Amino acid sequence: MIGALLVKIAFVTCLISILAYIQHLRKGEENVLKIARWFYHSTVITILLFSATLLYLILTHQFQYTYIWSYSSRELPTPLLISTFYAGQEGSFTLWLLYTSIIGVFLLRYSSRKGYESEVMPAFGLIVQMLLLLIVVKSPFTFVWETWPGEVQAGFVPANGRGLNPLLQNYWMVIHPQVLFAGFSAMGVPYAYAIAALIKRDYKNWIRPATPWIVFGALMLGIGIIMGGYWAYETLGWGGYWAWDPVENSSLVPWLFSVASIHTILSQRKSGAFIRTNLVLGMLCFLTVLYSTFLTRSGVLGDTSVHSFVDPGMWVYWLMIGMLVLFSSIGLVLLMLRMKEMPKVPVLHDYYSREFALFLGSATLVVIAVFITVGTSSPIITEILQGKKSAVEIGFYSKTVLPLGILIGILTGIAQLLWWTKSDKREFFSSLLLPTVLSLATTALLVSLKVHDLRLALFIFGSSFALFSNIQVGSRIVKGNPKYAGGAIAHVGLAVMFFGFVSSSEYDSKQTVSLTQNEPVEALGYTLTYKGYKSLDEEKYAFQVKVEKDGKEYHAAPIMYYSKFNEGLMRNPDVINLKTKDFYVAPLSLESASDAEKKATATFHMKKGDTATMGSMEITFNEFDFPVMEKAAMLEGRKVTIGAKLTVKEYGKKPEELKPSKVMENGAATDQPVRYQDRYEFTIASMQPDRDNKDNSKVEIAVKDLMAVNEQKAKGDVLVVEASVKPFINLVWSGVIILFLGLGVTIVRRAQEARLKHESAD
Amino acid sequence: MNPKIVVSAIIVIAFVIFGSYSFMDSNLEYTDIAGALKSHKKVQLKGEWNKDKASGFSQEKAQFTFYLRDEKGEECKVILEGAAPNNFELATSVVAKGRFTDEGYFHATEVLTKCPSKYEAKSEEVNKSS
Repeated sequence: MIGALLVKIAFVTCLISILAYIQHLRKGEENVLKIARWFYHSTVITILLFSATLLYLILTHQFQYTYIWSYSSRELPTPLLISTFYAGQEGSFTLWLLYTSIIGVFLLRYSSRKGYESEVMPAFGLIVQMLLLLIVVKSPFTFVWETWPGEVQAGFVPANGRGLNPLLQNYWMVIHPQVLFAGFSAMGVPYAYAIAALIKRDYKNWIRPATPWIVFGALMLGIGIIMGGYWAYETLGWGGYWAWDPVENSSLVPWLFSVASIHTILSQRKSGAFIRTNLVLGMLCFLTVLYSTFLTRSGVLGDTSVHSFVDPGMWVYWLMIGMLVLFSSIGLVLLMLRMKEMPKVPVLHDYYSREFALFLGSATLVVIAVFITVGTSSPIITEILQGKKSAVEIGFYSKTVLPLGILIGILTGIAQLLWWTKSDKREFFSSLLLPTVLSLATTALLVSLKVHDLRLALFIFGSSFALFSNIQVGSRIVKGNPKYAGGAIAHVGLAVMFFGFVSSSEYDSKQTVSLTQNEPVEALGYTLTYKGYKSLDEEKYAFQVKVEKDGKEYHAAPIMYYSKFNEGLMRNPDVINLKTKDFYVAPLSLESASDAEKKATATFHMKKGDTATMGSMEITFNEFDFPVMEKAAMLEGRKVTIGAKLTVKEYGKKPEELKPSKVMENGAATDQPVRYQDRYEFTIASMQPDRDNKDNSKVEIAVKDLMAVNEQKAKGDVLVVEASVKPFINLVWSGVIILFLGLGVTIVRRAQEARLKHESAD
Repeated sequence: MNPKIVVSAIIVIAFVIFGSYSFMDSNLEYTDIAGALKSHKKVQLKGEWNKDKASGFSQEKAQFTFYLRDEKGEECKVILEGAAPNNFELATSVVAKGRFTDEGYFHATEVLTKCPSKYEAKSEEVNKSS
């Protein structure tokens, strides 16, 4: 009750705050500004209150709320219980809203110090407003009897909830969505600043206060993306860290736009050019977040992905389209209104300038983002073009992104070696010499060792070039002022990551291995032994696999279980990190000895005269042996024997007559199996004798292969796993860490600069 | 004409062609058995698992074999590289990505399952959880 009410209160206070800000913008009255601030802060407090309410309701198991009933249960440990806050759509919208509104508090103070408050805040407030509207429409505070009116009795409190999907029951669930949504929320800031710049006619300076926020957004989103990748790799068993899945792509695209805009903003700082480009890119950082949300949350992708995209209903679908249209048209209309008066900065730099290299780099990032967006949207595109939804193959992404990646590698190197505006060509070419030679040497070395694909060789060249030139330039900067080294550090990280991509995903090796318990098997140069399984909880089992190489011993414990929640088999891999490579063990199936009897038994449905084949045997059902005198016996409840007369023929052997039978006494039946050649055991599994029309009599005969049973039993359990080696995958993770470190250094530097700039302007 | 504009225009057009070519090439047609037999490209074959016919995982080959029946009632053998996907037993319909081989079976590299959504909660389920 209270929660739903608070949502509506926040909706109203937020609206008042926006209107007051607009009023202040038009009239400039100081009192109105105070009202606007007061109402914005009230909105944030109300949002905090209803978020706390939702958390409290989750922690106290109030299952009368549909959302809480749907995603949590009494059995969950506290951290996971807390994570059910954002396990569903309603809650993840709430989390997004919560972080956006909190960022707004800092943004309000920050922008007011820099004189952008009454332009930035109405735009940012509108984002909060629309997110609130989403929660008004799809509220986490709906009662079960409101969700199913008439079907569930009012006031009914379910004793327990449905629980959290075991796929999400993992520590990554506690941290990954939080970071990702913090990134999504931060992307609202560049949008608000771009709008503010257009309103204020301040095309030049808005980028200074906006930069730290964009870098912060890129950092958070980046960490969120890589955490998701690691989660997929380590727990979900996707085999790799990146599957070009719509969910992954949709956070990568805004990230690419934010990185592109970081680079063009850098150019604008120096030369004043790229005014329009920066305004558009700043807006796109947020608009692509909206579009991504639409793709993954509206059900529009249908069943074209491994993810099940929940259809949230018409209201949310149209509201999301509405948000996209609203925020894009605000940006577009303002751009058009101001287009003519925007200063045209003559492009002074020539081709041998850092500006031009940065522009090309950003353009390449945008092209990558466009390709990924087109690929991810392919179900929508094909539905429009062909009337049928279909997705692109994953190959589309690597095919299109790889050549652009080569370009990115080379440009990150060149841009560092060039000077702003104009470079001395001689100097430039001589600075090229060392990184080029080193890159050629690296590429030649790797080609001679392993790389036999031209595109990969070029990619390695590009990555090496980025690595060496950034080390060359970076080490010089670090000696001077380490604060300025953010860019070089980030690029070194990127290059290291690129190497990791190639080694771990292009030169990995895989093998499917059947592991009989306690019997060592060689695979990929390792010795694997399956040692048995142990129970982890009610339904999960960990399968112990000993991995040996060169006298060293490691243990992997992949998990495989039947999940009642998903009503299916779940598999979690295990990873052994060996510094230079990962040994990855993914479980496929367990052939259990206790199933041996079932597995070695075949059953045949036969009518009179039918013949079935098993191996080299031909089995014919002749008729039932059902003597007339036994009919009377059966009616009296005495002992009766019914047999099925079979003929078994085998090439080169004399046909044999067999008669498995069932003995019935006092309503209970016992089998009297017969054996053939001491190997096969024949039993009547079921029968439908028809005394009036003997041709209609049906029988089901079970034939057990005793030899196969004994073999399987002697073998014990067999665990089938897919073992793979991912060389130098640690390069990916360390590259990522270096990249984020670089972004961190950049945030500190730009935030300081924005502060100093403002103070000097006072 | 400004040479910069000409150069950028050429680059943009090149990327558009490259992109749309790759897109067409990678876009998998959704089809039934008749369509998959005709096509020489990789396709997405939609149908349901025929549970009456034998299916199973082969340890030696690490392949999963099952029979798929399409909407028209045609049937074919599908061999998937790897184990049966999660939720296979429950799937109301399956989509196999791959192509027909000369041996007459459909060789799939991936099988997606469409499940009766667990998320579409029903009021009966709520009433049961008392």
